[in-house]
Amino acid sequence: METYLSGLYFCSVMATKVFDRDTLLDLTVNFIPLFILVFFIVGYTVYNPFGLDSVSRILQYVLLAAPFVLLAILTYLSGKAIATAEKTSTVYMPGGATVDDAEPLEEREDE
Amino acid sequence: MQITGQLALTVLMGLFLVIIAAWLARIEDWRSYTPLGSGGAAGESGYISREKPAGISRWLTTVDHKDIGMLYGLYGVIAFVVGGLMIMLMRIELLDPGMTLLSNTFYNSLLTSHGITMLFLFGTPIIAAFANYLVPLLIGADDMAFPRINAIAFWLLPPGALLIWAGFFPLGDIIPAQTGWTLYTPLSAGVGGGNQANAGVDLMILGLHLTGVSATMGSINFIATILTERAEEVTWANLDIFSWTILTQSGLILFAFPLLGSALIMLLLDRNLGTTFFSIEAGGTMLWQHLFWFFGHPEVYILVLPPMGIVSYVLPRFAGRRLFGFKFVVYSTLAIGVLSFGVWAHHMFATGMDPRLRASFMAVSLAIAIPSAVKTFNWITTLWNGKIRLTTPMLFCIGFVSNFIIGGISGVFLASIPVDLVLHDTYYVVGHFHYVVMGVIAFAGFAGLYYWFPMFAGRMYQRRLGKIHFWTWMIGSNITFLAMIVLGYGGMPRRYATYLPQFATFHQIATLGAFLMFVGGLVWTYNFVVSWLEGPKVQDGDPWELREDGMYTNEWQWFENKQETALADGGDGDEEDGLVADGGEPTDE
Repeated sequence: METYLSGLYFCSVMATKVFDRDTLLDLTVNFIPLFILVFFIVGYTVYNPFGLDSVSRILQYVLLAAPFVLLAILTYLSGKAIATAEKTSTVYMPGGATVDDAEPLEEREDE
Repeated sequence: MQITGQLALTVLMGLFLVIIAAWLARIEDWRSYTPLGSGGAAGESGYISREKPAGISRWLTTVDHKDIGMLYGLYGVIAFVVGGLMIMLMRIELLDPGMTLLSNTFYNSLLTSHGITMLFLFGTPIIAAFANYLVPLLIGADDMAFPRINAIAFWLLPPGALLIWAGFFPLGDIIPAQTGWTLYTPLSAGVGGGNQANAGVDLMILGLHLTGVSATMGSINFIATILTERAEEVTWANLDIFSWTILTQSGLILFAFPLLGSALIMLLLDRNLGTTFFSIEAGGTMLWQHLFWFFGHPEVYILVLPPMGIVSYVLPRFAGRRLFGFKFVVYSTLAIGVLSFGVWAHHMFATGMDPRLRASFMAVSLAIAIPSAVKTFNWITTLWNGKIRLTTPMLFCIGFVSNFIIGGISGVFLASIPVDLVLHDTYYVVGHFHYVVMGVIAFAGFAGLYYWFPMFAGRMYQRRLGKIHFWTWMIGSNITFLAMIVLGYGGMPRRYATYLPQFATFHQIATLGAFLMFVGGLVWTYNFVVSWLEGPKVQDGDPWELREDGMYTNEWQWFENKQETALADGGDGDEEDGLVADGGEPTDE
């Protein structure tokens, strides 16, 4: 578990205070498709039955790399926005913040 | 020619009369707006409860997000009925292998219009209906960020629908388009003349363009509203899941629809002004397909993400517990949003495109299955050990999950190139995407319609009829779409009005399922119309007893406040029976 978590910490190079253990665990859901993309990038490099025509080769990698990069950026930004909001303001039940006498959820989340 | 002239005159006169009627209605309303000259207020002046014009003028001039939501809803429902009747004609034709009831060309027209109607005139607008009504309430905003743009976005839709359906109206030589909803060139470019060179295709393209502009305006509005109009308490950490999906969907619309618009303009230019974007010597057959599917695949997620949001929002209310792994669902929604732009060519695996590119599209298509599967597990785990109440909206939510498992998994196989090459252009694909668009998207839409019906109408629907509706649809959709999947395995190709006799049995089974759904649709229509007019009035702001489980949410709080305000000022004229704030009856279970 420790190695797993330190690996996740390594993924978020910066702002480790925002990306604490819980946030990183939440983000694992997006690490899986990112891993699948890396798997195919490596896989197509190692095993490539279709020859090395340069333009198609470049396009092939762009089509895999572009979603990877964009997903990584969006995951980072959204994770940061949510984690920051959790730390700087009261957290209510999603969709229940403006209910009369709404009760904060934070205690339960920390368990 | 003479007939057309007379027709134009009649339409013009009719329009003139409508304008006069609307104008007169407004004059009358100005009087009701005027506060008493003496400075006195309240009483019977109608000032408090008549903040909007009455009658038809209210609906023609409204910029209130809730009214516009209702208009979107009505529009979507009408389109759904039209699209549904179209498919009933087609399914009756398909009872028999030969050409019997409809001509082949009319079948092709219905095929084209059914697809476009359901995707562009029902799917996108019905989602906009929920989003318009609910997002401002859920995030604590007064209204949408740009209320007038909101109104314009809606009012572009009715002319869009008229243009798309123009070929079905008696307008001289104009015939309906028969291009299929994907409008593949060179067929849709009118090459070789024939039916596809008819102006009906041009009108349909223009109509599509209008709906695209409408969707883009709406999406900008939603993004601005969710980013800037949230109440102070509504942070990114507690933004509800439906608003998250609308935000993501709006992002997708923003990048996808303008591209469709450009491609449609290019197609119009090719058809009418002699440009050669899509001619064989220039863009070839592939250019259109790349442009179209770069829009078309995100469109799939534009249609499915908000329904997923509705289910993620409604299902926990009747499971008595919060959504399991809420943040997993949020992040996976965003992941789907990004990845949806990297999978478009999986619709084109069989075109003979470069195998290296095909391999990349396969990889991303497999990757996008993960966030979808994550959501499914979250819904199931939310139900696990929950205090489940099988209300009609809950039944639709569970039906949604069940259908999504079949629809989704049948799609994972298609993402694999070798399997796709076998099943491409067969009824397997038709079965797969109908499981998703009907079994998933429409089911979630109806879950939402039932769940928020007490808020929209102030009345309750008949629960027994609601459940009959659910079961006819659940059984009907599974009969029809499973039969389609079997037909596809047998090699039955898509889009044909006639077929080989060996496919007859399963086509007849599919038609049987369609009839079941038709009956369910009639039950639903009766239930909603009658209940809207005469259903028992909702007595308090918590018709689903959500407070008991601590699941009460912002939009119902707004509804409760509205009812209490109505009580305080004596209510408006429509609520003559009066509303009481307590003693709410359990109205459905």
